[in-house]
Amino acid sequence: MSELSVNHLLGIKYLNSQDIQLIFETADHFKEVINRPIKKVPSLRDITIANLFFENSTRTKLSFELAEKRLSADVINFSASQSSVKKGETLIDTVNNILSMKVDMVVMRHPNPGASVFLSQHVNASIINAGDGAHEHPTQALLDSYSIRERLGQVQGKNVVIVGDILHSRVALSNIFALQLQGANVMVCGPKTLLPKYIDKLGVKVETNLKKALQWCDVANMLRVQNERMDMTYFPSTREYTQQYGVNSALLNSLDKEITIMHPGPINRGVEITSDVADSKQAIILDQVQNGVAIRMAVIYLLASKIKH
Amino acid sequence: MNVLIKSATIVDSKSDFHNDTCDILIEKGVITQIQKTITAPSKTKEISLENLHVSQGWFDNSVSFGEPGYEERETIANGLRTAALSGFTDVAVNSNTNPVIDSYADISFLKGKSQDNAVNLFPIGALTKHSEGEDLAELYDMKNAGAIAFYDYQKPIRNPNLMKLALQYASNFDALVYSFPQESQISGLGVMNENVMSTSLGLKGNPSLAEELQIVRDLFLLEYTGGKLHIPTISTAKSVELIRDAKARKLDVSCSVAIHNLILTDDELKTFNTRFKVLPPLRTKSDCNALIEGLKDGTIDMVTSDHNPLDIEHKKIEFDYAKNGTIGLESAFGALNSIFTIKKTIELLTKGKERYGLNSTPIAVGQKAKLTLFNPSETYTLTKDLLHSSSKNSIFEEHQLKGKVYGIYSNHQLVIK
Repeated sequence: MSELSVNHLLGIKYLNSQDIQLIFETADHFKEVINRPIKKVPSLRDITIANLFFENSTRTKLSFELAEKRLSADVINFSASQSSVKKGETLIDTVNNILSMKVDMVVMRHPNPGASVFLSQHVNASIINAGDGAHEHPTQALLDSYSIRERLGQVQGKNVVIVGDILHSRVALSNIFALQLQGANVMVCGPKTLLPKYIDKLGVKVETNLKKALQWCDVANMLRVQNERMDMTYFPSTREYTQQYGVNSALLNSLDKEITIMHPGPINRGVEITSDVADSKQAIILDQVQNGVAIRMAVIYLLASKIKH
Repeated sequence: MNVLIKSATIVDSKSDFHNDTCDILIEKGVITQIQKTITAPSKTKEISLENLHVSQGWFDNSVSFGEPGYEERETIANGLRTAALSGFTDVAVNSNTNPVIDSYADISFLKGKSQDNAVNLFPIGALTKHSEGEDLAELYDMKNAGAIAFYDYQKPIRNPNLMKLALQYASNFDALVYSFPQESQISGLGVMNENVMSTSLGLKGNPSLAEELQIVRDLFLLEYTGGKLHIPTISTAKSVELIRDAKARKLDVSCSVAIHNLILTDDELKTFNTRFKVLPPLRTKSDCNALIEGLKDGTIDMVTSDHNPLDIEHKKIEFDYAKNGTIGLESAFGALNSIFTIKKTIELLTKGKERYGLNSTPIAVGQKAKLTLFNPSETYTLTKDLLHSSSKNSIFEEHQLKGKVYGIYSNHQLVIK
C-alpha cells in the first residue's frame, strides 16, 4: 500500500493500522532528510498550504510550518485569537475566502471539537487537524507513537500510561486511539475529576494511583493540566495535584524497572514533572519534538500526493 | 364545504366503526353519515385516496413557531399549514418567541393570528417573566386569555423555591405548570449525552443525572405543594422509573417524550452532525427501550414532535455553537408508525388533550368533524423537498419512515396535499 486510506487527517479514529505504518515509514525517510546538511526536498513545490490557528499555539504551529517549508510548499499563516463566530464570519466563509486564493491544503487548530470534521464536509481542500478542542490532535499522537517505536523498537505489546488531565485533553484521546490501533495496552491515570466518567468504555485501564500506574507501564506520557479549558476548579491546588500526580526522580527510582518518560509540551516544571526527570535520559521529550517535524512532513506529503491524483 | 370521504378505514378504538372501511359524509362541519356506501349529495366534494385511513385529529403538545420575532424560522401561518399537512388538528405552541409569550396581550396575539385556521392553536404561556427564571409571569391573566399551560421552553427553573411558588400559585386556578427536567449545574456546558460517544468525540457531556436530579427535586416539591405538574420531554430510563413511582404514589404528575428520543441514539452524533443536536440529548438504546415501555404502560402520558424550526445559520456551524432543536411535525407519524402498530401510533397521536382540559371528538354521526387522513403502509425516505416547514432542520432527514399523511379535515376546512 502506498497511499493513505483517507483524504484528510481529522483524527486517529479515522485511520487504520496500515495508514500509521505508512506514515511512520515515510517519516523515517524524512527524518533522514532533516538531518542532512541541506534539510529540504522539492517534493511539494506546487502545493500551497494555509495554517489556520484559531487558538494559540507555538510548537505545533512552528513544527507544521517547518515541515511545510522543508517540503518546499508555499505557506500562508492565519491566526485569530478569537473564534470566527465572535468576529461575525462563519468558519466556512473564513476558510472559503482563503481557499479562493488557490490553497490546496488547510492545517487547522480550533477550540471546538469536531471543527475540522465539519470543515472537511463543507470545503474543497485537504484538511489536517492540528488540534480541535478536546477531540483529537492526531499528529501529536503519531509523533508520540513514533517516538516510542524509536526508543523501544515497537509499540505493539507495550504498556503505556497517560497521566494527568484526561478530561480536557485531545492528546490523550488521539494517543488512546493510536496506541490501541498498534496493539499497545493503554492506561489513563489522574484524579477522578479529570477522568471522563466513561473513559473505560474506550477499552483503557483506569488508575488513580500514580505509583501503581508507573509500576505497570513501560512508558508514561505526562500531560499538562489544561487550566485554560476548565470552567471550574477540578482539584484544590497545584500543590495537591503535584503531590499525587507529579513524577519525580524518587518515585522513578522506587520502581523496579526503568520506564520511558514522555511529555507533549509545554512542560510545567515542578508540577507534573520535576526538572531532573524532564532532563534525564529516561525522558524523550526533545526527541518527540524533532520527530514531530518528520511526522508532519510525512502526513503532508502523503495527503498532498492524493491531491495530485 | 360539504365533503364525502370515500372508502376510508376508520382507526379509532373508541368508535363503533373501528377498523371498518366506510364512506363518511361531512355537512356543515358535522359528520352526518357513516355508511358502507354513500352517494354524494349535490355540491359535495368527494375525496378518494389510496389506502385511505382516517382517525380523530392529532394533537401535538409541544410545537414552536418563530412568530413573533423569528419569522425567518417559521411563521404562524406556515407553521399551522405544516401542522395540517402533517395530520395535526390541534397544536400547543411554546412561548420561545421574541418577545417571549408572557402576557395577556401576547396570548391574545397568538389566538388572533390563528383564528379561523383549520388547525387549533393553543398557546403555552411562559412560567416566568421573559422566561428569565426570576419572577412568575401573570399566569392567571394569561389563562384567561387562553393559555393552556405555563412553561419556560427548555429552560430549567433553577431556584427550587420559585418552582414551589409556581406550583402553589397555579393551583389556585387549576393551571398546569411545566418544569424542564435539567439540573443546570450538573448539565453544565454539555452539548450531547454523556457516554462513550461524547468521550470519543471530546464533546462535553450532559449526563442523565442532570435530568433525573431535577425530576426528583420537582416530585418532592409537588408532594409538598399539591397542584399539577407536567414534565416535558423526558429522555432517560431512570426518569421513567421516577415518574412511574410518583404516579403509584398518586402525585398529579404527567410527562411527555419527544419522538426522536424514542428512536435515535447518541451514536448518530459520530460525524458531529448538528442535525442531531437536540435537548434533551439523544441518549442510548436502553433509554429508548425504557421510554417505549413507559409509553406502553402509561407512565409517559403523551408523545410530542417537539417541533422547533431553526434556520441554517444556526445549524451549519461548529457543533458547540449550533442550536438545539429539530422540526418534527412532518416526520411524527412516519417515525412513530415505524416502531408501533398503527393502532398504538394513532392512540399516541391523539393522546394528552385531557391533561389540558381539551375535548376529544370521536368519529360518530352528529359529532363535529375533526379528522386526520393518512396512508399507514407507504414507506419512504424523508428528504428536504418533502418538508413544508420554512426551516429544514429535520433530525429524520434521510431516515426511512413508514406511513404518509394526506392532511386533515377540521374547522369546516379540508387541507390536503
